[in-house]
Amino acid sequence: MTVRALLGLAALNALLLGVGLAVLAALRGFASFRDALRLSGLAYVLGVALVGIALTLELVVGIPFSLAGVVLTCAALVAAGVILRNPLAGWRPQLQPERPGGLTLVGAAFGVLLVVYLEALFRAGRLAALSAWDAWAFWVPKAKAIYFFGGLDEQFFTELPNPTYPPLVPALEASAFHFMGSPDVVTLHVQFWFFACGFVAAVAGLLAPRVSALVLWPCVLLALVSPRVVGRSLDPQADFLLDYFFALAAVLTVLWLLERRPWQLVSASLLLGAALLTKREGLLFAACLVVAALVASRRDWRRTWPRIGVAALCAVALTVPWRLWFSSRDLAGELPEAGFLGLFDHLDRPWPAFRSVLGVVVDYDLWLVLPPLVALGVVLAFVAGARVLPTYGLVLYGLMILGFSWVLWSFVEIELPFVQDEGVNPVVRLTGSLAVLSAGLLPLLLDAAWHGRDGRWQEEAE
Amino acid sequence: MTERRASDVTSRWIGGLRPAELLEWPGGIVRLGVVLCVVVALAFGLVYFVRAVDRLGDDATRHSEANFDDREFGGGNSLVVDKRALYEARALIPEDETYRVIPGPGVEGATELTEPYIDQFARYFLMPRRPALDARWILCYGCDRAELGDGFQAVWDGGGGIVLGTLER
Repeated sequence: MTVRALLGLAALNALLLGVGLAVLAALRGFASFRDALRLSGLAYVLGVALVGIALTLELVVGIPFSLAGVVLTCAALVAAGVILRNPLAGWRPQLQPERPGGLTLVGAAFGVLLVVYLEALFRAGRLAALSAWDAWAFWVPKAKAIYFFGGLDEQFFTELPNPTYPPLVPALEASAFHFMGSPDVVTLHVQFWFFACGFVAAVAGLLAPRVSALVLWPCVLLALVSPRVVGRSLDPQADFLLDYFFALAAVLTVLWLLERRPWQLVSASLLLGAALLTKREGLLFAACLVVAALVASRRDWRRTWPRIGVAALCAVALTVPWRLWFSSRDLAGELPEAGFLGLFDHLDRPWPAFRSVLGVVVDYDLWLVLPPLVALGVVLAFVAGARVLPTYGLVLYGLMILGFSWVLWSFVEIELPFVQDEGVNPVVRLTGSLAVLSAGLLPLLLDAAWHGRDGRWQEEAE
Repeated sequence: MTERRASDVTSRWIGGLRPAELLEWPGGIVRLGVVLCVVVALAFGLVYFVRAVDRLGDDATRHSEANFDDREFGGGNSLVVDKRALYEARALIPEDETYRVIPGPGVEGATELTEPYIDQFARYFLMPRRPALDARWILCYGCDRAELGDGFQAVWDGGGGIVLGTLER
């Protein structure tokens, strides 16, 4: 709770931004300083993903975790970005200098609202106590264990609840402890404020040249002010970071389907890998995303499916070391108790499970009117003549709702209908991914509906 | 000239469509739908923006008014009966030692969460000290002291059934 802790966090996040900028410069390049500034949010989240993945792999192979180790890891990733700049030159798009143009009135107005909102969020998180059960029961204890013992301590990582959850978030939290100078669980909330800011900046930066500010900002604002996001986005646990990784991966994937820039798919794959290493639900989210991308690109399947397959395999490959680590210690809990076929012994559960999920998805007190607007956006885009975006949206949202229902169906210890308090309700956490995703996908759907086709910006975006 | 200007303005009224065209199927209706979505998102966004900023301001005030102990205990406030016990444990048990929390029903003022979760909270709070079944340090949190035997020596007794001590073997 000191200025030193805040400065430490600022330094860590500057490093994460630096890593992301170096890697994005290699993958995509920047046309100008303004272009780099616009994509700095995406670069930051990419930096978080890359450093999180690298630290996880280091922990699994037993490299001692320390402040110097984190700094060296960041330096190595920056160096990798610089070294890969030339070999990847052929991949990068020919970027046109951006057309001159200042901030629009709409952009400026929403910018002010955003600053006020993020400032209020910062003040609320700055001195917040660690109250969420999951946070003090295992996420932060795992981070403390990494901080104090310099690695995946056998005792804590096997005895704490949910031992199969990957250590990406604890590794990032432990990095924050090192930069703050102590395991300060109060100021730790500010790290999650940085994640939230990075996500908002990433969505805005990615979509600003593609979607009218009049469409983009109201959708982003609605997602940000939904009660669940306001109340829980700074909890030092994995849910919202997973949602950020997943939502950006999903947006980049659909942009790749429309624009076919290699950096978009590579970035999506990295973010998906980070999502898979953030929480076990990441696997379900990734599966839904891949299927949605395959279905939406079926007309051009010879070109798209192999690439989507390779991107998905790369993301999954990043999780193999962690899976080997926990499998070698006979840790269980990754899959539902009923198993895959055992599901069919509980055929009384699918319908109540589906209804429970649907009830949470359309819960006004959690997500306001986001889900109905997304549904309307999909319909309008279809009617207008767009195909890729609404198909992608329909399949992705539909599969995720079915996937969440499967979770409730297969975890037979959960009583149905499921009406647990939202603070501890796993379905509420799962559906958060849909709301966060909507911040990026709803503006694209509405833009497609308005213009009557997918990605009308293709020629002018970059 | 004036008429043409007015017409230009009308034609730009909404996305290059005249009002009459907005009712044409499907282009006009779809655009009306998009406008509706944006207006709804904007209206709810602005109303809930005010509420969100209010709520976050209240949260910030509440958090800043909390004392250091309440802030440090966080979720533990709902299950820890006497904070001094854990502070004493943290002060007295060396960082490289092990400890064992023995919960029981004999704590005055315990909540329904105290007995099932106090050991988990202690593990979070007392780290890097490790919990161990054969630990010398015992935090008796409402346990039956008779079961600990004669080798148990209380180092700190806060009353109300919470005792910190060592077990001599």
